[in-house]
Amino acid sequence: MKAAILDAISQSRAGYGELRLRRVWSTTVLVRGRTVEVAGSGVETGGLARCCSPGTGWGAVGFSGTERLEAQLRRAHELSLAAASRQPVGLAPIPIHQLEQADPPPDDPREVLLSEKRQRAESLAAELYATDRRVSAARVLWRDEVIETWLATSEGTWIHDLRPSASLAVLVVAEEAGNVERALGSLGVRGGWSSLGGIGGLIERVVGTAVEQLHARPVRPGRYAVVLDPAAAGALMHRAVAHLARPALPGSDPDVLPMGTRVGPPCLTVGDDPGAEGLRASSTCDDEGTLARRSVIVQNGVVLGHLHNRETAAASGHAPTGHARAGSLRGAPHPRASNTYLAPGEGSLGDLLSGIRVGVYLSDVLSCEGAGDDFALRGATGRMIREGRLAEPVKGVQIGGELLALLGRVDAVAADFAWDSGGGRCRDGAAGVVPITTGAPHLRLVDVAVGPGGA
Amino acid sequence: MIARIIDTLAPRVSGADLVVKIDDTLTLAISADGDSRVSSSRSRCSHLRVARDGRVGYASTEGDDAGELIGRAMAAAASGGELALFLPAPAPLPEVASRAPQAAAADVAALDGLARALLERLQRSNRRIEVWAERSSGSVQVANTRGVLAAYEVTLAGVGAVVESIGAGWAPPCRVHVASGALPALRDIEALVSEVERRLAPPLLDSCPPLPASMPVCLGPRAVATFLRPLRAALAGYEAWLGNSPLRGKLGERIFDEKLSLSDDPLAPGRPGSRPLDDDGVISRRLLLIERGRLLGFLADLEVGARAQVPSTGHGWRGPSAAPRVGFTNLCLSPGIEGRATLLTMMGRGLWVEDLQWGGGPNPLAGSISLRAPWAYLVEGGMVRGRLEDVRLSGNVFAALAQLGAVGNDPAWVGAFHVPTLLLELGVSQRS
Repeated sequence: MKAAILDAISQSRAGYGELRLRRVWSTTVLVRGRTVEVAGSGVETGGLARCCSPGTGWGAVGFSGTERLEAQLRRAHELSLAAASRQPVGLAPIPIHQLEQADPPPDDPREVLLSEKRQRAESLAAELYATDRRVSAARVLWRDEVIETWLATSEGTWIHDLRPSASLAVLVVAEEAGNVERALGSLGVRGGWSSLGGIGGLIERVVGTAVEQLHARPVRPGRYAVVLDPAAAGALMHRAVAHLARPALPGSDPDVLPMGTRVGPPCLTVGDDPGAEGLRASSTCDDEGTLARRSVIVQNGVVLGHLHNRETAAASGHAPTGHARAGSLRGAPHPRASNTYLAPGEGSLGDLLSGIRVGVYLSDVLSCEGAGDDFALRGATGRMIREGRLAEPVKGVQIGGELLALLGRVDAVAADFAWDSGGGRCRDGAAGVVPITTGAPHLRLVDVAVGPGGA
Repeated sequence: MIARIIDTLAPRVSGADLVVKIDDTLTLAISADGDSRVSSSRSRCSHLRVARDGRVGYASTEGDDAGELIGRAMAAAASGGELALFLPAPAPLPEVASRAPQAAAADVAALDGLARALLERLQRSNRRIEVWAERSSGSVQVANTRGVLAAYEVTLAGVGAVVESIGAGWAPPCRVHVASGALPALRDIEALVSEVERRLAPPLLDSCPPLPASMPVCLGPRAVATFLRPLRAALAGYEAWLGNSPLRGKLGERIFDEKLSLSDDPLAPGRPGSRPLDDDGVISRRLLLIERGRLLGFLADLEVGARAQVPSTGHGWRGPSAAPRVGFTNLCLSPGIEGRATLLTMMGRGLWVEDLQWGGGPNPLAGSISLRAPWAYLVEGGMVRGRLEDVRLSGNVFAALAQLGAVGNDPAWVGAFHVPTLLLELGVSQRS
């Protein structure tokens, strides 16, 4: 494969040529109730050839398979010449790397029989039912994936890597005396067949949540002090900070947080680290061949940096940050967040709760959505906070408001930082879907609009 | 290749079907700064399903190694779900226009001409405008072990713009697009221009008396397409027949306003969902879902049909690396008799909403929504008084559709939805 790719690149007549080839092996097992409903596997192979030359815009060709790579580059070059661009493409320079990181893991999921995966998914479903008699329905979705990527550019970059990952999502319905409640939970990790740890904890947590919700009351809408668990705090930072730290993508948020703007209190420091060790969204290099590096976006409440690919970096006069990510097999790389973190502050969850007379604790984040300046974060579960302590459970909780106003209401960050293992994904219009990880400690906001949410 | 795979499998399985989809998409985009990008994407995906010993499994590939695909599909069937799957027999394909030669032949110059025609008509000194034009051309082949071997060609073409007003008179980005099987004509471009000008013309209302908690709201076709999302989820597939849809078990009941009639029509000529048969090989036909408020049908594919013991309605879809799924083709809401002027008059004091941003809500499947309406206008005395900012609509989609105020006579295609304006009562809030 390497020879074919390098041969194709060497034949390109464009000023800059880039060829990315990707092969994705995946298996999916869905168990509904106690029996398997879906078992399947997929192999997708394809990629993107991109070209630009002095004075031209981008020409890009997405393709299936691995044949006629030189023809894909030739067509991309022709398209770049055909686009009557009034603005030529500028690319910020990067150090050139050749990396080979394609050793398969010892527990390569491609070597595990589908029947074994099926048995595991069915036994997990059985465990869900066995955990509590009130579980009336369950669903288990097992998915593993191995992504092999080859990237070569006319500048000499060569990357070949292999990224295995596994994920598990469970849904539980609990019933008692006519009440019906649902709870969801997921795990997603980088690694092979045996890397998915903490499954027992997930099952206990999801069943516990569904059962607890049977007796929970809806939260009374109003304005409260709100404490977010680390997963919810991380989701907030990803949507409210990292999304607004990227120069505009076609068809998505046009707003970028201007450098030097104060967006929160001094306890707010947010960044993105695509090179963080062992996380599902981590990589050594991005999809343009730039070495991944940690980028601080907000330091002590003030915007300090943006997430760039080579093109946006050149346009703004900054260095690329290693955040060029393709959201699909044949998609172009755009600046996207990967592992967004909220830096730890001081104290514990107890310290955050201690100053609150009546408030809400939001946990088990279900969704985090933004539309324009508006933002809504839904948690599957919550608890009231009374006199500085966690009190009775409440049904799903939703907080919302204007993004930047919400960040301004952050008033304390605890020290108990943790990366979330839920296996998140970020969907962003034409830029496609990429895996993400978020990491944060507990976070407190004051005077936030709270309403009913839930599964 | 498709017939060879089926022939190879036939003696070894109780049933198998295969879909091969080939697509060639060409996209041209011109940014607000004037830089052009042209991209082309060619894909080929094969999706094979095998039924053997009472179990069903699937495998997909973008390659052309038939033996490897068959091997994985057989392994998946050995571990797959138990299901008595009955594949359809061959039948004559209905006539449906799914390909326009002019769209299939459109090159970069043709797309550039379309995009620049729209750009020039929208250009003003106080606007930032991004435009794009796209065409895709491809084919779908379907075969199964009962003898179905069918193919058809498809095209889809569109043009769109994002218009931002800058400086004084700021307004949120206005996104418009049109897409169909044929290349957009000048009249389609003029319709987009008219829509943009209509949306941008009314002044922003700096102050107006507080809005009541609920009021009459007219949703224009683009807003209706978004508003109907919970209803679509409730009418389709496993959730509708066997799952948590609030409509489950209510077939035959009159649960919506009698002004509401809804159908799904894969035979509508030249639309995004037009096709003579579905990806399971089931012949396409128009499906009546709601007639004068009475719930008459749900969507099913072969697998959901087998589980629910109902016939497939021809709504099976296949894609790479995913299980077969149920989906709509062209969703059509029957127009009413009221014109725009009548709707404005009927509202008294209310809101006219051109577009909605999907943001879900507390429980979308149950119909509870809370949606941002960035393009909402205050209507008083039959006249649009001006644009309101920070408006949010809330309520329950099913409850609102059970008491429709009126249905407009202005149906328009919004992607694969053919929908008119709807007048209904919804919760309204505006951030102060």
